[in-house]
Amino acid sequence: MAIVELHQLTKRYKNNRGIEDVSFSIEEEEIFGFIGPNGAGKSTTIRTLLNLIFPTSGRASIFGKDIVRDSKEIRQHIGYLPSEVHYYDDMKVIDLLSYSGRFHRNFNEDRMKKLAKSLDLDITRKIEDLSFGNRKKVGIVQALLHEPKLIILDEPTSGLDPLMQHHFFELLREEQHRGATIFFSSHILSEVQKMCDRVAIIKEGRLVKVESIESLTKNRVKNITLTFEKENPSAVDLEGIVKQEVKGRDIKLLYSGDIHPLLDQLSSLPLEDVVIEEPSLEEVFMHYYENEGGEEK
Amino acid sequence: MIMEREWKRSRKSLLIWCLILSGLIIWLLSIFPQFADQQESMEQLFEAYPESMREMFQMNELSLGTLMGFYGIEVYMMITLLGSIYAAILASNMLAKEEGDKTAEFLLSKPVTRGQVVMQKLALILLNIFTLNAAAAFASFIGFQFAGDHKVPVKTFALLIAAAFLLHLTFAALAFLLSSFMKRTRNTLAISIGIVIVTYFFQLMSGLSDSIEPLKYASPFYYTDAAPIINENTLGPIHVIVLLSVSLVSIIGAFMIYKKKDISV
Repeated sequence: MAIVELHQLTKRYKNNRGIEDVSFSIEEEEIFGFIGPNGAGKSTTIRTLLNLIFPTSGRASIFGKDIVRDSKEIRQHIGYLPSEVHYYDDMKVIDLLSYSGRFHRNFNEDRMKKLAKSLDLDITRKIEDLSFGNRKKVGIVQALLHEPKLIILDEPTSGLDPLMQHHFFELLREEQHRGATIFFSSHILSEVQKMCDRVAIIKEGRLVKVESIESLTKNRVKNITLTFEKENPSAVDLEGIVKQEVKGRDIKLLYSGDIHPLLDQLSSLPLEDVVIEEPSLEEVFMHYYENEGGEEK
Repeated sequence: MIMEREWKRSRKSLLIWCLILSGLIIWLLSIFPQFADQQESMEQLFEAYPESMREMFQMNELSLGTLMGFYGIEVYMMITLLGSIYAAILASNMLAKEEGDKTAEFLLSKPVTRGQVVMQKLALILLNIFTLNAAAAFASFIGFQFAGDHKVPVKTFALLIAAAFLLHLTFAALAFLLSSFMKRTRNTLAISIGIVIVTYFFQLMSGLSDSIEPLKYASPFYYTDAAPIINENTLGPIHVIVLLSVSLVSIIGAFMIYKKKDISV
């Protein structure tokens, strides 16, 4: 059974772009990625699903129930981590968490404490004294503590240090094994690749494609900057180089393909320095669309 | 649960308002015996006031020398004005602050309907206003002990307290309506207090000249005026209906707006 189903869901704003004709579905116990640049409509989609905003047209259902009509019943079984975490400043962490938990039928105080402990979160502190990262942790515990069937995460990793991110991902795996479905929105490709089974790509309010992670990974793209010992180096010739730009002693490459032939090639070059990095989402998408255009592998 | 939360958040300021208002009431009533003793010279003094000024403070209809007259002019004025400001402050923030502080995204992603949110917040407003009026009534009762052998007409006193509650309710309902569709709490607060002050002056000024007299009908204060309540010992049913209708329409409006509203953060 599909846990989440969107049918031509549309939200128009007077001035801003919303989302247009978005349709996809998420299966049970799936970790479903939702990726697109900032402002593409990820949060709008999520907020419509939670009925914080009303759809202009189209419809959607969660657990087979209508998101507008049965919103309260749906939210009983949802855990939601917003991209920006804002809570009541006068509360302590534990007050906020029990306030949040008591809205739900299966609130379990032990689970709350266990989650907080696993994230290294001090629940006796006041919320206004917390750092951004610690507030995010409050948000995570708040989203998970009532054992939701569907977990909706909007940019969950911003503000978490890498170690904590790792921890958080482990926590999500546990939730998945418990039987939860996870809807994971992000603009960082690598974390979606790490976590998700399938991913929906959204751009300028429209759904570009729903794709399995394998096919996205096949197109894994790297940004490579090579610094040579001498000026004006000769171009690198290798299959999989999408774009090449020579500038002074540097060559900038956009590379898509197996990493081994690339490394072999690089080791034979008179290099001073190498930077291999994740390209921005826009660059990936540009590459992605180019592939869609013709040279499909 | 939301009501419980709002109670915890608002009880401190409620306590402060209750203490200040009660203190003022008791202090004012403690002065009354002096007024009563020197009633004659006082009245001569007030005779010297311009007619319009006496009308403004209702001194031509009520006498400062009688307990209820003094209560109507001094104490009741304090209760209605300060209580209305309190009601406006309380209600103007009640819904808007969740959006202003961006906590609406938290609250409304919980399994509650918008209707329940509005209902519980409204109930808290009613509770707080009721508490403030109870405190005012209690303080008045203490203050009356200074008056010695002046008798307190129980029915008149009860009517005045009821009228004050009704007035506070009206301003709270208006501010609550504003709170349902405005996002910035600062604007909502300013407008709500503005409404109280401006309509208070409508009522004050309307006596000054015939040309602006109709203004008084736009002021909730007119419908709870002390003089007719004390002199005729009755709260006009039409006045009650007007205030209740305004409150009811505002509250229903708040419900309808909040239910259909896009929550932005």
